[in-house]
Amino acid sequence: MYVCLCRGVTSQVVADAVAAGASTTKKVAKECGAGADCGRCRRTVQDIIKATEAQVAGLAPQTSVARVRRLFG
Amino acid sequence: MTDTQTRTLILASDYRVPDPSRVWPLLQRRRAELAGIGAHHVVVYASTWEHGRVLVTIGIRNPEPVVDLLRSRVWFDWFDAVGVTDIPGVFAGEMVERLGVSAAIEDAPPGIVVAAMTSVGDVSMLVERVHGAIGRFGAAGVRKVWVYQAFDDPHEVLILQEIDSDENARRWIDNPDEVAEWMVGAGVGPYPPLFVGEFVNVMRIEENL
Repeated sequence: MYVCLCRGVTSQVVADAVAAGASTTKKVAKECGAGADCGRCRRTVQDIIKATEAQVAGLAPQTSVARVRRLFG
Repeated sequence: MTDTQTRTLILASDYRVPDPSRVWPLLQRRRAELAGIGAHHVVVYASTWEHGRVLVTIGIRNPEPVVDLLRSRVWFDWFDAVGVTDIPGVFAGEMVERLGVSAAIEDAPPGIVVAAMTSVGDVSMLVERVHGAIGRFGAAGVRKVWVYQAFDDPHEVLILQEIDSDENARRWIDNPDEVAEWMVGAGVGPYPPLFVGEFVNVMRIEENL
């Protein structure tokens, strides 16, 4: 998944940056460039930070089915 | 395949727009720009569960590296035009399998499209397992399955499933077949939640525009 179109940064590269300690969108931008230009991908970068940190902490991230069930009962 | 060869790729993105009825007319007005980047067709799906959510897939023939294609102003201008401030992730890959699960029935009503972008264990094995489960898929109301594999991550897939009715789509979402591992991985990290919707329109673009 290409997250940052300006720099052509993929979700995998962002996840690697987060796993290496980049815990904010600013740190991710500094580490791999994602979100450093127009900044319009920062929301997706935040989602990756949350998911990667949950994975590192051993917490199961909420899956799509759970989210769909929450939304539509 | 290398980035320098001309290939057919698909770009797909799932996002929310303030007014979904504007998506199709705005796309039609950009036919020339889309032709300029090698687009040969654009398909629009609209969510039937979440108003304003759309899934747009674009088939492209272009020898440029994907990252160069994505830097094109076409995308930024497009997101600006439809009112998308936060640019979503873009899936870039190619079709690896297209399965007609059940025989097409003439005059059958259009099906429900359930799409998932996610990461799976092994795409080749997944396709093999789907082939083995095709009878169960058909019994569950699945008509067709398209499997796309990402260029940037061999585990990443976009899977489109056409299901014969909303009722069966709901059942499939609640209790997918055991081989449909993509149904539980969507909605995590950069991946959008499962998309449930209907086909809106397809635009075919001639090369010599």
